[in-house]
Amino acid sequence: MDDLYRELILDHYKHPRNRGTLDPHDFSYEDENPLCGDKIRIDVRLDENQRVKEVAFLGKGCAISQASASMLTETIVGKTLDEIKQIGRDDILDMLGGISLGPTRIKCALLSLKVLKAGAYGLAGEHYREDE
Amino acid sequence: MPPFLGGGDMIKRVYLHEFKANDLPHKFEAGTPAIAEAVGFGAAVDYLSAVGMDAIHAHEQEIIAYALERLEEVPGVKVYGPSAEQKGGVAAFSLDAAHPHDVAQVLDRYGIAVRAGHHCAMPLHDRFNLPATSRASFYLYNTPDEVDQLIEGLYKVKKMFG
Repeated sequence: MDDLYRELILDHYKHPRNRGTLDPHDFSYEDENPLCGDKIRIDVRLDENQRVKEVAFLGKGCAISQASASMLTETIVGKTLDEIKQIGRDDILDMLGGISLGPTRIKCALLSLKVLKAGAYGLAGEHYREDE
Repeated sequence: MPPFLGGGDMIKRVYLHEFKANDLPHKFEAGTPAIAEAVGFGAAVDYLSAVGMDAIHAHEQEIIAYALERLEEVPGVKVYGPSAEQKGGVAAFSLDAAHPHDVAQVLDRYGIAVRAGHHCAMPLHDRFNLPATSRASFYLYNTPDEVDQLIEGLYKVKKMFG
């Protein structure tokens, strides 16, 4: 792992942005990776145009899962639910500095996106399927 | 109990509309047997016998005792499991500075392979209230120098995440 990426990830891990909960919120979802104990909860509040106004996350686990959540909360402010649904795996890897991850760590990196999307789909009354 | 897989030695007789399975144990040994695997197994047995199982055990005991000693010196490391004489060459541990996945990732950069996760023992991890642990395994081909490298690696992890 390149030094640049390590610094970015370590920074977000040690100084996570948007940590906390939102009350009230438009949706809140929580999930974990049972195999390693990473856990993420994301709360989102929308503005009158259905764009993300505020976001907060809570979690514990490895540096990649927590840094990914921290960065994700920063990138989604101002986005619509449809835009959130478009965020994919490659976007997350780019967000993390273009690092390449093995199959195990990919799950760590994608947990926060899974939580976010499950919340977003749930709000629209739909069910999010991970293999989409 | 009906056969699970068909074909090969598990057949006694095949008719147009049915078949008769062979007697035990062949009934449950369909297809080509694992010939290559058996030959490999024989080679492994010869190799280990040449080294000597007692010698291997003694080496394992020596290495794991050394590893536990050095691991316990590292501030922030906690080792889980019985003492060296009561187990094989494995040491499951946690490092307060970093999650086991991150420990494994950084150690990997320094050429050290440890396992991170539950090691097929989730209820045990629940009992100790641990999300996961790292686990180093040592065997006849590991040296005390490699234990030292592991410890050095852990100090590097502490420095990075501290």
